[in-house]
Amino acid sequence: MNGERRIGMLHLAGAVAMTIFCLGPIVYMALTAMSHRPDFLAPGAGFAFTAAHFLEVLRTESLHFPEYFRNSLVVSGFSAAFSVSVAAPAAYAVTRLAIPGRVAVLFAVLAVSMFPQVSLVSYLFKLMSAMGWINTYAALVLPYTAWILPLSLWILTSYFSRVPRDIDRAALVDGCGPLEALWKVIVPVAAPGIFSTALLAFIFAFNELLFALMLTTDHRARTIPAGIALFEGLHGETPWGAVMAAATLTVVPVVALTLVFQRRIIQGLTRGAVKE
Amino acid sequence: MKLSFRDVSKTFRSLRGAVPAVRGVDFSVEDGELFVLLGPSGCGKSTILNLAAGLERPTSGEIRFDGEIVASLEGRVFVPPGERNVAMVFQGYALYPHLNVRENIAFPLRVAGEAREEIDRSVVRTASMLGIEDLLRSRPSELSGGQRQRVAIARALVRKPRLFLLDEPLSNLDAALRTATRAELRRLQRSLEVTTLYVTHDQTEAMTLGDRIALLRDGRILQTGTPRDLYEKPQTPFAASFIGPYTMNLLKTDLEEEGGVCSIRIGTERLPLPPDRASGARLLGSRKILFGIRPEHARAHPDSPDPGLRGIVTAVEHLGRETLVTADLGGASLRAIAGEGTLKEGDVARIAIPVDSIHVFPD
Repeated sequence: MNGERRIGMLHLAGAVAMTIFCLGPIVYMALTAMSHRPDFLAPGAGFAFTAAHFLEVLRTESLHFPEYFRNSLVVSGFSAAFSVSVAAPAAYAVTRLAIPGRVAVLFAVLAVSMFPQVSLVSYLFKLMSAMGWINTYAALVLPYTAWILPLSLWILTSYFSRVPRDIDRAALVDGCGPLEALWKVIVPVAAPGIFSTALLAFIFAFNELLFALMLTTDHRARTIPAGIALFEGLHGETPWGAVMAAATLTVVPVVALTLVFQRRIIQGLTRGAVKE
Repeated sequence: MKLSFRDVSKTFRSLRGAVPAVRGVDFSVEDGELFVLLGPSGCGKSTILNLAAGLERPTSGEIRFDGEIVASLEGRVFVPPGERNVAMVFQGYALYPHLNVRENIAFPLRVAGEAREEIDRSVVRTASMLGIEDLLRSRPSELSGGQRQRVAIARALVRKPRLFLLDEPLSNLDAALRTATRAELRRLQRSLEVTTLYVTHDQTEAMTLGDRIALLRDGRILQTGTPRDLYEKPQTPFAASFIGPYTMNLLKTDLEEEGGVCSIRIGTERLPLPPDRASGARLLGSRKILFGIRPEHARAHPDSPDPGLRGIVTAVEHLGRETLVTADLGGASLRAIAGEGTLKEGDVARIAIPVDSIHVFPD
């Protein structure tokens, strides 16, 4: 075996190990959801396919899964939309204006986002209770928007800084005001970036557990992560099959979004704007 | 429209300190004139263009369009770029990548809120003026450099701007296309009679295009004048060496005076100066002077009894019909033009210096 071949094999082995490491839990989750009993790996247990857990999750009214699903989509959608619409003008300002210490601004924003969620959650609970917003979408959308904003700002800043400055200078000379230039030129040109930022923001909100757990007490605004965490069988046992089925269903929209829009995310629209 | 800059300065401030880009610049561009800002990179010429466009605010001084102030820090006036009705062609074209050619050209009219039919008519008229009617449906990414250039010019000219600003518009084109586009730009600018500010670092472009040229260095205007003025009467050694097809010979030497006749020493050779040049040199008030002669004015011949400076040819560059020879005059080297094939390395050459073409600068 020559050296190059050996290195190739090592690369392959590494890739396989990495893939198993990453996908293993998800495969296990999907298999558990489809198995007639959760301990199918135990000696003598065996695997038999069943769709019962999925049907249970979707049909059992006391589990409220469809409501959680809808809540998750609404809350994540609004949070992503709000945070991107606030972050886009901010990123435009950070990349375009000669603000002294703009890097400091960016790092301050990043630092704020490093606050552990736990340190905020009790205050948020008090605030939302006082406002009477517990179990409303606003109780989740507002904190999520603020929580995702730093991430959105950072990603958008990196996308916007790749849009050649002469393009928005051209828009300014052509008669646009600064916001018009942002809306008519920067946003369309950076659309793939904005889209992937929104997608990431959506996924972040979609996955969030702690706030959702604390700021909702029933199914009216509770999202999937909190919902699944609180799944309970009839006799207080953990219904593993249902939990895994719900989790599997939850992965579907996120994966689907990514797959469908993958091309848009990767495709660079700036091609041909200026001579490279 | 007449554009004027009155003592305009621009200093960029960052955490690392203040960087002056433009220092007290004064000039006017007359109505319909093509005015070239010429200088090496970093001389502030693009900043001046951005100041005229309104993309930068001056740190001091004022800018006027037809006498009306559009930017003045002291007067607290600043008309934003969108309200100045100026058009700009960027070095990298800066086309909108998400729009096709038609939409790119229509963009300024759309922003101005013109009627659709009016926009369509203007776009087609401008596109046909530039010969790009066939490209209206294409995206910028599908165009060649020359085509992008035309689209950028069309977008700039579509709404009859008061002021046309061009930032090194030809520097990304290959040589043949550059010459052709240069001529076309000149023709367009003449026919539209639009006041134009043109930035370039290429002296050939400046000489062939400009009605007048301002030569810049380190944020200051060194000299303003017609191309001929700058070529024939450079006021500084920098102007002398920057302008012209070949870099001017500039030699440090001493002015010598013997019995009322002035002369200078070049290497081991002595060159008498005619009385008018000598008096000019004397006026400089120093014996140390910089002697200048353009290579294309100095003529090198094979050695002969004719008057001229004697030197040994050290290098020969073939230009086609002629050659550019470098000759060593005993310690000083001088470049001159010779007929093709008349001189080769190591030959003794006799270089004739026409007295009218001599430049004298203080050293």
